Amino acid sequence: MADHNDPNAVNHIFSDIDYSPADLYDLFGWPVEDGKKVVLALTFASAPSAGALDPDLLYRLLLTSHPRMAWPQNGDVSLESVLAYFDAVKEKYLGELKTAEIRVTVRSSGSALVKFIGFPGGDLSSELDVNKVTSITARDGQTIQAFIGGRDDAFFNDLTGFFRSINYAPQFYHVPHTMTEARELPVPKTLLELEGNDMFNYREDMPNWGYTQPDGTTPKLDLPPGPWTWNGDRFKKDAQGNFRFVYSGRDCRAGQNCNAIVFEIPHSFITPDTQHNRLVNAWGESWVLKAAKKVESIPDEPLWLKDPAKAILEKDVDPELQKYKLVDTDGQPFADAALSEREDDRQAGANNFWLGPHFIKRLAHLGWGFGPSISALGLQCSFDHGNSPVSVYRTYDHVIAAFPKVARTLFQKLNMPDNSWNPKGLNIPLRRPFEIFVPNVCAVDMDTNGTWPFGRRLEDQVATRFLSLFLDMEAEWKGGKYHVDLLGDPALWESAPILPKTPPNPLKNDKEFLDSFPYLAEPWPQAW
Amino acid sequence: MAASMVATSSNPVVSPRLAGPGFEEERKRAENDIGRLTFRLAAQPRDLSDRVRLLYRMFHRASLTGRMAQLEEVEKELDTALREFGPKEDLCLLQANLDFRFHRLHEVRRHLASAPMLSSRVEGRVLLADLDMQEGRYELARAGFEELIAQHATWDHLARLAHWHSKLGDFSEADRLYAEAEDDLTAKQMLSYAWLEVQRGLLAFNRGNYTGAWSHYLRAESAYPGHWYTAEHIAELLAAEERFDEALEMLREVVERTEKPELQQALGEMYICAGRENLAQVWLESALTSYLESVRRGDVHYFHHLADYYAGPGAEPAEALQWARRDIELRSNFSTQTTLAWALFLTHQTEEALEQMRLALSSGVRDAIVFSTAADLFEAAGDSSSSRRYASVALEINPMHRRFRMHH
Repeated sequence: MADHNDPNAVNHIFSDIDYSPADLYDLFGWPVEDGKKVVLALTFASAPSAGALDPDLLYRLLLTSHPRMAWPQNGDVSLESVLAYFDAVKEKYLGELKTAEIRVTVRSSGSALVKFIGFPGGDLSSELDVNKVTSITARDGQTIQAFIGGRDDAFFNDLTGFFRSINYAPQFYHVPHTMTEARELPVPKTLLELEGNDMFNYREDMPNWGYTQPDGTTPKLDLPPGPWTWNGDRFKKDAQGNFRFVYSGRDCRAGQNCNAIVFEIPHSFITPDTQHNRLVNAWGESWVLKAAKKVESIPDEPLWLKDPAKAILEKDVDPELQKYKLVDTDGQPFADAALSEREDDRQAGANNFWLGPHFIKRLAHLGWGFGPSISALGLQCSFDHGNSPVSVYRTYDHVIAAFPKVARTLFQKLNMPDNSWNPKGLNIPLRRPFEIFVPNVCAVDMDTNGTWPFGRRLEDQVATRFLSLFLDMEAEWKGGKYHVDLLGDPALWESAPILPKTPPNPLKNDKEFLDSFPYLAEPWPQAW
Repeated sequence: MAASMVATSSNPVVSPRLAGPGFEEERKRAENDIGRLTFRLAAQPRDLSDRVRLLYRMFHRASLTGRMAQLEEVEKELDTALREFGPKEDLCLLQANLDFRFHRLHEVRRHLASAPMLSSRVEGRVLLADLDMQEGRYELARAGFEELIAQHATWDHLARLAHWHSKLGDFSEADRLYAEAEDDLTAKQMLSYAWLEVQRGLLAFNRGNYTGAWSHYLRAESAYPGHWYTAEHIAELLAAEERFDEALEMLREVVERTEKPELQQALGEMYICAGRENLAQVWLESALTSYLESVRRGDVHYFHHLADYYAGPGAEPAEALQWARRDIELRSNFSTQTTLAWALFLTHQTEEALEQMRLALSSGVRDAIVFSTAADLFEAAGDSSSSRRYASVALEINPMHRRFRMHH
């Protein structure tokens, strides 16, 4: 008789986690043709290779379009009001808003099936060749441009610098997968190196420490025994009085590819009322086929191909989606990585309302780290750190305690560097952080040029703009108000007591973007 | 392998549609990964991440192929890594898992304790619950599995509780849990899915439901083609149906691929069942040689197979008793207690045999072989009433329990 049972023999916890095509990278969105069309680009890991898609995957681009929601000018700035905002938006998203969807599955190594579901312009499906721009004609005669295939990864970012700023051990140390407490170590977040923080400070003898190399390896050290805390009381300075920046401005994604799903869609295809519904909100999802469904053969029903919305309505449930398991979501840059802390059960996509209180606490935690760093550089900070001379490690159990410190950060309007974001000169309110991250969507304002936070253009340096949330937008530098691109201005760093004198992240992508659809640059020659 | 055999049979089950890549592709990928990591480590032997990754890939390969020599290679490399890097959690966890695989149960605890927090990790708690099951603390095991599921309802936790129910609880609950485990898996986990289907097939087989067993085994083959583990179970089912030619051909191929002595013994026993005793001996002798060599090396994981061998085709009851006693010293559960009971009976120590049998039965186990053994023992002891009762329950659980079966 069988005397023991060992699923660990087949449990992949004991195997490498494969580079996954379900790993979503970014969602870009911006208006084109004077706001008549919107470009949406969802990028993800180039597995099995750039230009080849995995037939077990299903990708969704979900869209809504609705009017701009304006916060009252003299609106109450309080915890109650922001929580009321979260509730109101939740009601809207889970209640009245109709979500349309573009669904992509892989038919063969060279083709993909694209379904447009729930659009007022009419539902349809179309089979496309991958790696080729295709024009799809909708039922109402409108044209949608589509591209599915390999591209250069449009994200340009000092990822290692970001991980250094949050003291994320697995980037720098061999951390066993069992040690879940050894991820973000209990050391203050910071933009400036901390005196004595040898666990993360730059090492002259290992300049590539924590930087992924072209061969896919990342030089790391053995994790020292704990406790992993920092007991210092100052930022690190050299003999000349310069701080050491945790960022280096290196592009950690240089020379790397992605796979992408890119569409250029008429706004009128998304909503019949383009005049009032000036926002197009989008978010992306990746789903992996369930094992049981891979074994069954599921014939494609003609109705499903021809009229998928009707097929869903008639069956009450989505028969195709039931065969898959949700893996990843993408909306706002850094909403998941920085604010949801990568937890699997926080992959909520647009429906992240219940995470609102967590975001407030998380932002406060980040503020205690980044805020003093900003002040130490002589800049004005939006976070109330009580003039702390150095970054502090502080967490909050209750949002009531966190809110007062982070209220200004949450509610301040984010200034733009110039007026190019508003080409028509319309009375469009500047966006505030609390409305950017909840819901977790790419919110494209069709009356703007779509630069973040009014969308996300390929050339936006969103990582640096995210850090600008901690700047006091009422303050001034060289005669002008602080704005979202200030930390990307080389002149700022030239005059700052810091080394290296560089903006935190690269200023542009390693490859020029294209002037025309699909806009993302051609992939690099290597398959990955 | 299994698909083509079944396609030629008169079995009413339809030939499986293959879901895609299976065993051979995964084996090649594991080999490639091992080659790539070995090459990288030649330049940077102290890279701990790569050393751990290499060890885990080697373990995966060994689990995949079923080859004991590859598992021993993992142990050797792991031993070196532990000496070089010290008791890192992922190294200690792998060592504890190998200890469990080799029935060195006291070593499991020792290695878990080598890394201070490891026993409290999810992975450590899983092993401790497995130990409870192996050492006869069934309610503790169940509580452990249920707690793990409450916190992390992953497929392998669900599978463990399913196994518990298959032995001690409710068969339909076992199948439901296996099905729930399957629903957690994606198309990137077809090996795990196929394994679960084999467990469901085995559940059906142990109830005498051969149609159900076929359905699950063929589904396993369709999901993950070419795995010897699936073929092993299909061979058993074919033999139970007395389709010995097909069964023998299939099991011979599995034996060639895996070189497992317990499967060599099973092949010998299958020849005997098929009335070809003259062909059995070479396999039985080969199995015995391997068992004894393993013992000479200091291994303990073949004790129960030795007890089984000598109680069966080896026909040396005193030897059977010796090995059964040594096995029960490692772990006392309804399986080892039943084996010891039978060995005691064969050596005419009926009272002690009954004592062990009652101990096994007191676990609450619901297994046709245990009940059938009990029936035989009680009959020999002159207790016909108890004998009839246990025989009846054995038939109720599995009307086919007298047919050919393997010691998995």
